[in-house]
Amino acid sequence: MSDKIGIYVCECGPNISGRVDIDRIIAEISNLEEFSDKELIVKPHKLLCSVGGKAFLEEEIKNNELTHLVCAACSPRDHDTTFINVCKKTQLNPYMYTIVNIREQCAWIIPDKEKATDKAIQYIRGGIDRVLYQEPLFEKQLESNPDVLIIGGGMAGLTAALVLAGKSRNVYLIEKTSILGGKAALFSEFLPHQSDIADLKNKIKEVENNQYIRIFRNTELEKIVGFLGNFEIVLKQNQTGDTTDLLAGAVILANGYELMDARELDNFKYTDADNVFTGLEIEEMLTSQGKITLRSGEKPRSAALIHCVGRKEAGYCSQVCCNYLLKTAGYLLKQVPGIEIIDLHQDLCQPHTEDQAYFESFKEKGMQFCRVQEVALDGNKIEYVNMAGEKKEIAPDMVIIAPAMKATASNEALSALTSIDLHETGFFQEAHIKINPVSTKTDGIFIAGASRGPCDISEAMIQAQAAGGKILTQLIPGEKIIPEVKVSEILEAYCTGCKTCLDVCAYGAIYFDNERGISVVNEAICRGCGNCVGSCPSGALRSRHFTNLQLYQQVKEALR
Amino acid sequence: MNPSDKILVIGSGIAGMEASLMLSKAGKKVYLVERLPLIGGNVIKTGESFPNMDCSTCLVAPIQQLILQDKNITVLTVSKVEKVIGKAGNFGVSLTKKARYVNIAACLGCGMCYPVCPVSQPNFWEQGLVEKKAIYVECAGSLPNVPVIDPSLCLRLNGSEECNLCAETCIFGAIDFSEKDELLEENFAAIIVATGFSTLDARIIKNLGYGKFAGVYTAYEIERLLASNGPTEGVIKMRDGERIPEKIAIIHCAGRKEVGYCSNVCCSYPSRYAHFLTEKVPGVKIFDIYGDLCFPDKAYQKLNYETRKEKAEYLFSADLEKLEISEESDKLKIKYPDAGNQHKELLVDMAILAVAITPPAGLEDLTELLEIERDKYGFVKAETGSVNTTRDGIYVAGCATGPRDIQSSVLQSEAAVGQILRFLQD
Ligand SMILES: Cc1cc2nc3c(=O)[nH]c(=O)nc-3n(C[C@H](O)[C@H](O)[C@H](O)COP(=O)(O)OP(=O)(O)OC[C@H]3O[C@@H](n4cnc5c(N)ncnc54)[C@H](O)[C@@H]3O)c2cc1C
Ligand SMILES: Cc1cc2nc3c(=O)[nH]c(=O)nc-3n(C[C@H](O)[C@H](O)[C@H](O)COP(=O)(O)OP(=O)(O)OC[C@H]3O[C@@H](n4cnc5c(N)ncnc54)[C@H](O)[C@@H]3O)c2cc1C
Ligand code: SF4
Ligand code: SF4
Ligand code: SF4
Ligand code: SF4
Ligand code: SF4
Repeated sequence: MSDKIGIYVCECGPNISGRVDIDRIIAEISNLEEFSDKELIVKPHKLLCSVGGKAFLEEEIKNNELTHLVCAACSPRDHDTTFINVCKKTQLNPYMYTIVNIREQCAWIIPDKEKATDKAIQYIRGGIDRVLYQEPLFEKQLESNPDVLIIGGGMAGLTAALVLAGKSRNVYLIEKTSILGGKAALFSEFLPHQSDIADLKNKIKEVENNQYIRIFRNTELEKIVGFLGNFEIVLKQNQTGDTTDLLAGAVILANGYELMDARELDNFKYTDADNVFTGLEIEEMLTSQGKITLRSGEKPRSAALIHCVGRKEAGYCSQVCCNYLLKTAGYLLKQVPGIEIIDLHQDLCQPHTEDQAYFESFKEKGMQFCRVQEVALDGNKIEYVNMAGEKKEIAPDMVIIAPAMKATASNEALSALTSIDLHETGFFQEAHIKINPVSTKTDGIFIAGASRGPCDISEAMIQAQAAGGKILTQLIPGEKIIPEVKVSEILEAYCTGCKTCLDVCAYGAIYFDNERGISVVNEAICRGCGNCVGSCPSGALRSRHFTNLQLYQQVKEALR
Repeated sequence: MNPSDKILVIGSGIAGMEASLMLSKAGKKVYLVERLPLIGGNVIKTGESFPNMDCSTCLVAPIQQLILQDKNITVLTVSKVEKVIGKAGNFGVSLTKKARYVNIAACLGCGMCYPVCPVSQPNFWEQGLVEKKAIYVECAGSLPNVPVIDPSLCLRLNGSEECNLCAETCIFGAIDFSEKDELLEENFAAIIVATGFSTLDARIIKNLGYGKFAGVYTAYEIERLLASNGPTEGVIKMRDGERIPEKIAIIHCAGRKEVGYCSNVCCSYPSRYAHFLTEKVPGVKIFDIYGDLCFPDKAYQKLNYETRKEKAEYLFSADLEKLEISEESDKLKIKYPDAGNQHKELLVDMAILAVAITPPAGLEDLTELLEIERDKYGFVKAETGSVNTTRDGIYVAGCATGPRDIQSSVLQSEAAVGQILRFLQD
């Protein structure tokens, strides 16, 4: 079949036609010598993107049996997809079309009409020579597995499991310890506005009784390979060392947090014999012995709460400790009427509408609040500097500290297994901090709860539902997955096996084939970003819709 | 069509848009109802957004484009929910789609029609900093990029004159004075309320002098002055159009006492102001006067530390509620109790108020019509750790439930989609 190239020049109303000479474009392009062996069809149109314009284009492609299409119009940002969709209605493979931007790049920026017209002609010539070297590409469809693996049985993991499990989707929930609930299982109470979640035991029961959720206790992830819709997974039982093989389409990392050890800080010196407790230790004490006491078993008559322990070193605010310290103060006030409590804080973080009133209720109860610049602890002796710069010393019976929440060692281990990134704070890195907060750079792997950053239970639950929402939209039972078409490939004959590209690919799409001694692109993971192409010292990498030849021809023709 | 395949999303801010796109991806049909002529919500008012300072338009415009091109999403701008009957799984909803008087399919957004219009009105989307015509788009880059005619001001539509100037100018014949408000009746399986927020009318905060002293600005006024598509194309000048501020004070927590809660984002966006103001106004000195600092994300505190190191001086006030602004010749005098509760004064050219976030105007009516409860601050009440409202089948996402950043708004909308798809699966 001989080449038949359609070139359609959009006037965009007066937007293009007012600033470039459409007639001259049509005349010059129709008579280009270098394409004299090809059949060119060159036509203007008032408004290619309009309903009429699209119908016109569709007819032209079909009636002229075009093999290549060039639309000289506006920015691909505006209408690339518009014209691709037109191609999809015809015999023309959409990868045999290209858009040339003669509006933003010519008409709108060059005041001189003749010069703008010259540039538009150059660009269109470049477009024609590019499209001639394009190749048809075809979408692939891959089977996908709708099941989901959830790592961590805290509030985030439990919530996600309940959103996802159902008739057509199994959930595998793995928990490193023997109990479900995470840190929340230790808490005697939640915050006052959280009455709805007080029933943690019921939630755990609901998960345990759900026939579509399979729980693996004392279990961790051993190995994972694959991509969205097709992950091969190996789990390992901690005590027996037994392994289980599973298939799943998506993974949620919900492995939680731990508290920083305050004794690592220069200005916090205390031992296990001192009456210094972390917030979690108080919760544990209350759950195990039903009351809060000093190590001697006596009731404390005075207590100090210290906020923001290690906040500066950690580099972030832990968001929940201001509130849970108040909750702890509430326990103390209830148990030891008349107890004197001083609250030493640097800031009060009250990011929810309910928080300020909660705080004010403690002011009314006679608790003393003091803002400090610095705090140091030696046993139960506290030295602090208030905002006016005065140094003070106190020695309350009991000291309760709020060390920074931090990422656990599991984050590093899971990051190594899944190749998703860690944020500089050690928490998981989201795909986009604002508009894609539970996805990661690897499709099919999601993050929720305190392993992606400090959060309270309410937020951990919202994140878990968000991850659930993402999976429910991306992994629909019975539907196939269509991976990116414009991917990169490695030409076996050129690859020397230097492995440079393996480091460059941010998506972990390239693997090394030991037998053949070359690298291979996994097309289901590759996003076609092209980073690897530039890195290959042997020229073995080729980006399918952006080959060197295509780009060279386009530039060469445009500069002719 | 089966109602179980249709979802109504009210409000087209970042929360409503993200939810709509996800639902479409899951094969649902979405009606996205927005009361303004443009989609995008409040994020598009801010030229850039924290923490990573990326350009908001670059962040949101591709999302807006996807929405407008999505075959599963019907976008109804200048529209209103009128009535809701039925229950989860099958709500019967009446909507008015107000006349735009410009045919969206025919208009190219060339912008030829508004300069010729003889009628002007204040542009409140631009915080009243500029005027717009009776036929207008709110700002350059509005999407859909199609003007709308205000029927109460248009001389022809309000019957005062036989004006036809815009129609004569439009060579695409896109102006259509015969367009009528339409009443639509549709059935939906579920509803997401994503109506966002307003900010407190700063005039209410007595001691800060907003509205009285020209040098006092609200956060959104500064956002629009900083934005390259704003009234000054991103050039920072005082209201007289000439003076360039040399000293600027940013007052945190403005109106916090009046509303009774922390607004969650106003500790972080001043970092952005410091960043861009120091870039745009060489030599400018910036002071942040604050009482508490709240950084609800792992990345926000670092941003603050960097700002304090290089770009702004942070002044702690032991009692921000006592801060007072007065005018002294062409300067503003700020009196406040410092860290040791000692009286301090600061002379500046400009004061920026980080004004509290409030429920959006009209939320009361909407919640009544939807029969969902509001919390004691007036936001939509949600179950803890959830996006469920007090009525089955109606979910809430974004600032409609209280102040939050973009991240948290998006999280909620994704969670709402999770709940809806879960509900429809069973
Ligand atoms: C003292 C204190 C009091 C608090 N009080 C409140 C409160 O009242 N209200 C509130 O909203 N928030 C409160 N919080 C915050 C709350 O603890 C967290 O928001 C919540 O626990 C986060 O839930 P999560 O599921 O993300 O993590 P976690 O609760 O940490 O759960 C993570 C789970 O994952 C498991 N796990 C870890 N690594 C692995 C692995 N590699 N493989 C498998 N499983 C793994 C863990 O064993 C754990 O069960 C408090 C925090 C503290 C420190
Ligand atoms: C000054 C300022 C600066 C900020 N800067 C940042 C920043 O840099 N980074 C960041 O992360 N966050 C920032 N934020 C917060 C951010 O703006 C919000 O998180 C975000 O806009 C919330 O999105 P939303 O969709 O919930 O609401 P909105 O953006 O408010 O959108 C709601 C939409 O619903 C429409 N609507 C309202 N009522 C109705 C109704 N009854 N019917 C139909 N439609 C209706 C509105 O017209 C609007 O289009 C800032 C906030 C302020 C005040
Ligand atoms: S939540 Fe409160 S105590 Fe915790 S780091 Fe933040 S400001 Fe400090
Ligand atoms: S094109 Fe990008 S995603 Fe694909 S293999 Fe190369 S670097 Fe990885
Ligand atoms: S960089 Fe090139 S030569 Fe080296 S392994 Fe990758 S494809 Fe092969
Ligand atoms: S109505 Fe007409 S003149 Fe106005 S912007 Fe649209 S196309 Fe241009
Ligand atoms: S017809 Fe109305 S909108 Fe058009 S120019 Fe006249 S007054 Fe303006």
